[in-house]
Amino acid sequence: MQSRLDYFVPEGSYWPILGSVGMAAMLGGFASSLHGNTAGTVSMILGFGIIIFMVFGWIGQVINESETGTYNLQVDKSFRIGMGWFIFSEVMFFAAFFGALFYARTLSVPWLGGDGNNLYTGEVLWPEFKSVWPLIQMPDSTNFTVPKGIIEAWHIPALNTLTLLTSGATLTYAHWSLMNKNRIGLIGGLIATIILGVIFLGLQVAEYMEAYQHLDLKLTSGIYGSTFFMLTGFHGLHVTLGTIMLIVILMRAIRGHFREDRHFGFEAVAWYWHFVDVVWLGLFIVVYWL
Amino acid sequence: MNYIILLFFIFIIYSLGSALYYMMNDSGGGSKRMVKALTIRVAVSIALFVFVLFSFWMGWIKPAGVA
Repeated sequence: MQSRLDYFVPEGSYWPILGSVGMAAMLGGFASSLHGNTAGTVSMILGFGIIIFMVFGWIGQVINESETGTYNLQVDKSFRIGMGWFIFSEVMFFAAFFGALFYARTLSVPWLGGDGNNLYTGEVLWPEFKSVWPLIQMPDSTNFTVPKGIIEAWHIPALNTLTLLTSGATLTYAHWSLMNKNRIGLIGGLIATIILGVIFLGLQVAEYMEAYQHLDLKLTSGIYGSTFFMLTGFHGLHVTLGTIMLIVILMRAIRGHFREDRHFGFEAVAWYWHFVDVVWLGLFIVVYWL
Repeated sequence: MNYIILLFFIFIIYSLGSALYYMMNDSGGGSKRMVKALTIRVAVSIALFVFVLFSFWMGWIKPAGVA
């Protein structure tokens, strides 16, 4: 049985209230900016700035407390549980988008084409419509952008997969280096992973430009365009966040943080990167190939 | 073909999931279970990528395209 002395009770902190103010300013501003209000846009940007300041300030304080030996194993455990819930929310987030793709592709679009017991749905609504995926020829394209084609799996997506898989390997090298007390290997592996992450994002931008400028494949291109950009776009956002987190971990590694037996910050970011990598692999197969 | 790809995915998610389990449970102590699981994750992922490219080369699968 643990005694009450085993619990770490932090000092009072102003970070939570600052974060709340930032969040309120950002979301309130965003809602207001949708109505064309310039003050709303300013509030949104200001709120975003406050949140960034809060994240770096708060996490910086936590890192400092960790490095000065304030934390015990009970705090360590609480970090792990927090990470577990964060991961759970991330899995649910992507499950929703993959689920939307599955629903559209396997159920609703074939139904519109008269599949299953929906023969009359097809005949009454759009008799000429034939259900095919990717859905380029929509039943009624009045309010949508009809794309000329889709992104070839063989080109940038394959290169991006190679890039991300390689980054998984370099990160694993960094991880092993940390476990084997090889600081140079840890730093080198992290730098390589960050560079590969940035290359991935650059290629993703090139792919989107190709889609928008040459293929007319846009977010407004019906259910195919919507699911394509929502899935790959949110994945790209996760790679961006992962890269920022890896940069922070690199800075800490350079400063001599992390030991082979205590490095939860590294483990959490590494797992997150591997998760984002696996999500991409799923996207690569489901969106571009199958 | 889809079942083979699914099998690869089950392996990948299993190794990623076990890495998560080890991260949650191995508090300190220098346990290498997590990094080992992640190494398997990377290896199987690369194998899947190579398999997809090989299948394409052999003509077993073709990318989603405009019909």
